[in-house]
Amino acid sequence: MSNIPTNPADRLLFELSKPGRRCVTFPKLDVPEVDIADALKGAKLRKEPARLPEIGELDLVRHFKNLADKNYSVDKNFYPLGSCTMKYNPKINVTLLAQAGYTKAHPYLPEQDVQGHLELMWNLENYLREVSGLDEVTLQPAAGAHGELTGVMCIKAYFEAKGEGDQRTEFLIPSAAHGTNPATAAMAGFKAVTLKEAANGNIDIEELKKKVGPQTAGMMITNPSTLGILEPKMREIAEVLHGVGAQLYMDGANMNAISGIVQPGDYGIDVMHFNLHKTFSVPHGGGGPGAGPIAVRKHLAPFLPTPRIKKNGDGSFAYDYDRPDTVGKVRSFFGNFGALVMAYIYMTQLGREGVRRMSENAVLGANYIRVMLRDYYHVHHDRTNAHEVVFTDKKQDKENGVHTLDIAKRLIDYGIHPMTVYFPLPQNTGGQGAMMVEPTETESKESIDYFIDCMKKIAQECKDNPDLVKSAPHTTPVKKVDEKTASTNPQLYCSMCLG
Amino acid sequence: MPFIQHTDEDRAAMLKAIGVKSIDDLYGDIPADIRVKPDGDRVKLNPSMGELEVTRHIQSLLKSTKNANDYAFFRGAGIYNHHVSTLADHIALYDGNFITAYTPYQPECSQGTLTTVFEFQSCITALTGFEVSNAGMYDGASALAEAVMMGYRLTADAFRKETRETVVLAGAIHPEYAATVKTYCETSGLKLVTVPAGKDGRVDADKLKAALTREASVVAIQSPNFYGVIEDVESLVKSTHDNEAMLVQVIAEAVSLSVLQTPAEAGVDICVGEGQSIGNHMFMGGPAFGFFASRKDNVRKMPGRIVSETTDRDGKRAYALALATREQHIRREKATSNICTNQALCALRALIQLAAWGKGGFVELGRQVVSKTQYAIKTLTAVNGVELAYPNQPVFNEFVIKTKPGLDKKLIQQGIMGGLPLDAVNMGSAGEYLVAITELTTKEDIDKYAAALA
Repeated sequence: MSNIPTNPADRLLFELSKPGRRCVTFPKLDVPEVDIADALKGAKLRKEPARLPEIGELDLVRHFKNLADKNYSVDKNFYPLGSCTMKYNPKINVTLLAQAGYTKAHPYLPEQDVQGHLELMWNLENYLREVSGLDEVTLQPAAGAHGELTGVMCIKAYFEAKGEGDQRTEFLIPSAAHGTNPATAAMAGFKAVTLKEAANGNIDIEELKKKVGPQTAGMMITNPSTLGILEPKMREIAEVLHGVGAQLYMDGANMNAISGIVQPGDYGIDVMHFNLHKTFSVPHGGGGPGAGPIAVRKHLAPFLPTPRIKKNGDGSFAYDYDRPDTVGKVRSFFGNFGALVMAYIYMTQLGREGVRRMSENAVLGANYIRVMLRDYYHVHHDRTNAHEVVFTDKKQDKENGVHTLDIAKRLIDYGIHPMTVYFPLPQNTGGQGAMMVEPTETESKESIDYFIDCMKKIAQECKDNPDLVKSAPHTTPVKKVDEKTASTNPQLYCSMCLG
Repeated sequence: MPFIQHTDEDRAAMLKAIGVKSIDDLYGDIPADIRVKPDGDRVKLNPSMGELEVTRHIQSLLKSTKNANDYAFFRGAGIYNHHVSTLADHIALYDGNFITAYTPYQPECSQGTLTTVFEFQSCITALTGFEVSNAGMYDGASALAEAVMMGYRLTADAFRKETRETVVLAGAIHPEYAATVKTYCETSGLKLVTVPAGKDGRVDADKLKAALTREASVVAIQSPNFYGVIEDVESLVKSTHDNEAMLVQVIAEAVSLSVLQTPAEAGVDICVGEGQSIGNHMFMGGPAFGFFASRKDNVRKMPGRIVSETTDRDGKRAYALALATREQHIRREKATSNICTNQALCALRALIQLAAWGKGGFVELGRQVVSKTQYAIKTLTAVNGVELAYPNQPVFNEFVIKTKPGLDKKLIQQGIMGGLPLDAVNMGSAGEYLVAITELTTKEDIDKYAAALA
């Protein structure tokens, strides 16, 4: 363990700890105190108290405030992280959520006590049905990857019910897909078969026709693709899949481009997930919690997890557990309900027009960035794009030996969070290093222009002073971090917490 | 227009720069016949609501709800009505720099989140005794399912020549957790064997031994179990290890780690649990987080994000995501899991709450819960016709009472949300109730409950 830093702002909680300090006190015990060993006779007890830090309230608050300030965040910085949709998270979502009606709602309250929560879930399901153009929705999956797993499970159960469970062993996955897609297919017991895209970034229909067959359970497609391109032949792709009896799954990560513009159900999608933390503004939280509801066509609805929400004839709401074909539970209770409340508030505020405007302005901003930077950076597909655009370091690599990661780190010096790097193109610093930029609709033109100016300036720096770029960042609390040692010689806990 | 800052002039300037006439032109790849008409009625969302209207709408929805504050509250079963420090809300909800950040892929501008994850992992290490904790899972149920998958991988790798595709769920496991494990096993082709609890509410050791065939790769137990009974974890570990299988322990009430033997000391291989009761609101059961801990030598088989200490270019201490070669974005179909999220904000809340309790406060919390639980057992079972379903078993904060069925309505009318009727979750018969106690349960609540049962 390294030496304890002298500046308290850089110390760990454990290093700020001093015996006897604490924040929370409890009311005096209002029942007779028992002897723990006596009361828990027959159970083994801890030998010593857990070595948690002991800290006073001001130092605790200051510790976390100092740490918070070391983060870049949407509230503070332009955050054009491609594929992540880092849009503004309205403050009202948090304020309305932090009421006892939500914070103190227990999942085992009787139905009559949670009518307003069931109604909210029912309404949100309806919103997502409308945006997807599909028939039924479950809100239970906790995240996009969890939604994928749930959707693929439903497809698997569907084929098993049809007696084709042994036959349908493969899932087709485009090579630029999110890593979660093949990982999900594998978790659900399918073989992930990679599908190479055509040169223009679209699905290669001829290649697809060659790879599908009676062994195909389905295909996972992202539209617009991870390359930020709308797939023009969605209906043809669906027809090829459906022609062999397979199902078409859509990764909804990029719904911020098409919500309110087109309903995926209209181009043949059988099941899709939403990332409510991307499209519908649930805060990302530094890595969750999000929510990954899925929408399905009627024939897959019997397999959705239980309980479903149903509306009774008298207008009241109830849980529906009577679903004999369900895949079962994918997690406890009803999903990340708190996240659902925030997405619902957001969608209610947007309304019908707002959802459409959201997508339109997201696509506008990303195309604007493409044309403004096309003379400075190589655009992977220089054509109309959707809500995000992929540049590469081809130019900077060839001319100055500067790479994507260097450019990304230099952006930090200008107060901008890096774009997504080395995705979706295979990681390759020889001029293929992807820089995927997604501005979102909530950024002002001034913020977008500032980003464009910074990117131009960095392009110039690559020429004039490549070492300045390669040694970035220069202004952060820590300089370039040694991520390799973090993995080769991991140190995963503070030594002060274990005896 | 809600949350969009472009003026018409801004839009016009951007369109001009792009070289198109309208935003519609940017959607040329979508065939016109399937595009939603701007003034059509295909997408039937309500008209946009402003801050005043949406607030009014949410408050009207809340009017038709009740919550734990409206009752003398005795429901738990995996989600517990503990006090949540205001510090957790102030830091995690209202400081935008945690809540509006993304997964810390770029360590130089994410040291805040990365440091808190490292501290969170350290706290889970302190609680469980294990050297490795990941950064968090969706919840206790899915953490258990992932732990079972990992246990299977560990055993299958160690005994490659054998077929070890059976998973054993032993004793009173939370029905939502058991159902989740079942779903994951079915989809990945593992065979699931269930060993129900014995008459004493514990794992039936003889039946477990019978179920421990050579095909069994992993045994999962819950302790304290769904009925609140603390299992003899050490002896279950022994039977499991005698069969060269892995023992997974799931904990639904993380506060029990304040007083009970650490899973590491008991010899458990993987310990997972639901973290809600530490610093997270109940929210109808989510979001909170799952914790996931194991021994150092198992780290490369673990799912989920992990943060390590390292240094920056100048040798200054820094933190970074580590061991990503286990994960989906690198390994794709060969990853240990498809999970990306670590419910970071919920894990942060737990870290704040644990620090706010501190070493001494956490122990005091555990002791208060045990004392109140003992008082509740004594007081409720003193009522004529009320008895413990599993007498003489050690419990931490929950226990099952047997009484006459059908009292629920009467209790609710008196402002009491009594224990969970076990027949409603297929875990017992009518008249059996799972009663949960926390530090928020008062003597007055307990006396009121007893009086109503009489």
